[in-house]
Amino acid sequence: MPWLKGEALKQQEEILVFKQVLQVPYLYSAGPVVSRFLLALRDEQKLLGIKCPKCRLVFVPPRSTCGKCFSDLSQWVELSGKGTLETFTVVNYPEPIQPAKTPFILGVIKLDGADTGLPHLIGEAEEKDLVMGMRLEPVFQEKRTGHILDIKYFRPVNKDRA
Amino acid sequence: MTQEPKLLEVSSQANYPYNYSAGRLLSFFFRALRDQQKIYGRKCSKCGKVYIPPRPVCGPCFAETNEWVEVGPKGTLECFTVVYFTFLDPMTGKKRPVPYGYGLIKLDRADTRIQHFLSLNDPRKIRVGMRVEAVFNEEREGKLSDIKWFRPVE
Repeated sequence: MPWLKGEALKQQEEILVFKQVLQVPYLYSAGPVVSRFLLALRDEQKLLGIKCPKCRLVFVPPRSTCGKCFSDLSQWVELSGKGTLETFTVVNYPEPIQPAKTPFILGVIKLDGADTGLPHLIGEAEEKDLVMGMRLEPVFQEKRTGHILDIKYFRPVNKDRA
Repeated sequence: MTQEPKLLEVSSQANYPYNYSAGRLLSFFFRALRDQQKIYGRKCSKCGKVYIPPRPVCGPCFAETNEWVEVGPKGTLECFTVVYFTFLDPMTGKKRPVPYGYGLIKLDRADTRIQHFLSLNDPRKIRVGMRVEAVFNEEREGKLSDIKWFRPVE
């Protein structure tokens, strides 16, 4: 049978296209340390960090072991939630698992009193409003479920608003 | 902290949509399932091996396949399993109700096997080598699932 090409093929044969959606549900235990962090977000609208007793680093989100000196961590510190924008990007390409509709801004926020950057959404601001080093504050969701998105986003600190 | 920490679970649902073209031969194969309730294999021009699902080139001889051959709908069950612990169907995100039968079927006139579900009135009566036949769905969309399952030939 000769191969049919181009227009001849289109006219004579229906070519099928399969539209499929792979669904990948998953569930993981947040563990005692991250659970405590998420519960503080949900119940008290507070951001907690965890401090290394040896090298004094404060981790947000918290972890059970210091990444630098391998000490066990258990000393909780309460943070104001305010912080500084370390870096940011505008996400234009949509992916199914993203937490917001494109375009959105993703930033890394170094909270006051913390030594690590927390990646999160930046809201109430456009790209042109943002500069590295600017001050940010968290905005919490009305309904909180014990999830990192109980913080809706971080927004620029506005002196008029305060 | 003396009190027992409360534990949370984090759940997420990731959906990955994708499209693919079935191409010329597979489209013919699926159209025949949908419109004629017939199963076609593709025959090698050199060694005569009949492939199902169809493929454009014969694996061992690198020759183009050049002929459609109607295969089945009856065939022989070559191996099977009865599934009691199922995984998620990636197309629906749901589990197929257990138990269900799943087997490799060599359709008459075909030289390769297809995997499909087996009707399961009595799991104890399934045997390797038993004769089975395809049962088509009433409503067909041009997919392998247009064959509902294979059932024993009475």
